[in-house]
Amino acid sequence: MRVLFAIFLLVSSIYAVENIGTSTYIGTSSVNNSATEYNSFDEEFSVKNTEEEIDPLSGYNRLMTEFNDVFYIYLLNPTAKGYSCVAPKEARLAISNFFENLFFPIRLINNLLQFKFQNSLEETERFVINSTIGILGFMDVAKDQYNINPHNEDFGQTLGYYGVGSGFHVVLPFLGPSNLRDMVGIFGDSWANPISYIDSRSANLLDSDEESIYATSFHVINKASLHLNEYENIKKDAVDLYPFLKNFYESRREKLIKE
Amino acid sequence: MRYFWIVCLTALLLAQHASALEESAIEPFMKKNVEVVASIIRDKALKEDIKATKIFGIFDQVFDYTTMSKISLGSVKWKELNKSQQDEFSRAFEQKLKNSYMSKLNLYTDEKIVLGGMQKINNTRIQLLMTLFKNNEKYEVIYKFYKTNNNEWLIYDVDVLGVSIIQTYKIQFAEFLQKEPFEKLLEKLKNKES
Repeated sequence: MRVLFAIFLLVSSIYAVENIGTSTYIGTSSVNNSATEYNSFDEEFSVKNTEEEIDPLSGYNRLMTEFNDVFYIYLLNPTAKGYSCVAPKEARLAISNFFENLFFPIRLINNLLQFKFQNSLEETERFVINSTIGILGFMDVAKDQYNINPHNEDFGQTLGYYGVGSGFHVVLPFLGPSNLRDMVGIFGDSWANPISYIDSRSANLLDSDEESIYATSFHVINKASLHLNEYENIKKDAVDLYPFLKNFYESRREKLIKE
Repeated sequence: MRYFWIVCLTALLLAQHASALEESAIEPFMKKNVEVVASIIRDKALKEDIKATKIFGIFDQVFDYTTMSKISLGSVKWKELNKSQQDEFSRAFEQKLKNSYMSKLNLYTDEKIVLGGMQKINNTRIQLLMTLFKNNEKYEVIYKFYKTNNNEWLIYDVDVLGVSIIQTYKIQFAEFLQKEPFEKLLEKLKNKES
């Protein structure tokens, strides 16, 4: 499976390189001679990232968007809803805090890689405070008492920080919208993620892939239970779901990388 | 008699000028009205449609729906349409935006809202940042104002979590219109369920 994925990545990155030549032209065509109000708006709202215009996988992406939509509406959401009836919100927030505290290595490494030393320090402070006074991270004492806020960074953002373009858009099964850069990022993150199980890694918190899948699923369901109805609600705004989610994801990632 | 009309006309012009939002008035206006809107939303005794009327009574003073419609279609497509098509589209799009807003009100409970940080991008663009705190997360909303030819400031777009609402529609409309005619798009916008 991993080999297959690697081949896919390789092939798609070759495709991306081939397309760079053509993509550079897109931006210039919108330059107009008259500087009226609309034209300035057109320019402001033109798709800044030319890579967004290239969508070689659009057919597959549309299909996968449908698949994820069904998965979300008929499986994840009902599960999260049922779970939220059983577990009170305080408990779910505490569990969410616990997982976020565990993901500390991902945030630390990526803050460091982006030379955000102040943030790295604060992240470390948070981890130390929350793991101890916050009882294994179930309570976010660092934020509530000491006003130290988290600084989320992942490998996809780090790659973006170093100028790696997003590459074309790929919708992943279950995970949803992504792109070439962030797919590479997901590999990096899973390596630094304490609840993933990787054979070649010297230290593993969990004992097997199976345990890792359970832990991750629990985290996902718990997280979904804190964001119930949000997806359905946002989805209602879509005239066309695939470009809607694609734009949403790419703009959001761009913003996160800039921060 | 003629004098009377002149006075009336001048008064009217002055009144209009007073209601138009000037640069210095943006922040106080928004600060006041974000509070007002939040209290309307929180008021459980109010019926949905009365809430809508009250909220949009405030929004309509600063939101420029026609410009939003123009931007979302792009100026090339916009110019292809005749006046009545433009109007029809603007109205449908305005309604779509309003419906979308109203459907999100139940997501809002009692989050803390902090308004602040007006940033002048250039002579005709100003952005105002609003931060919403929910659970233990922070959500950023940016109101984007432009200066009209009458020197008043109106909102032409809103960024939510770094995602421009109008841009999102623009991309969808462009993709939709590649395959379907304009009338289909209009139909789709008017369909409340979509």
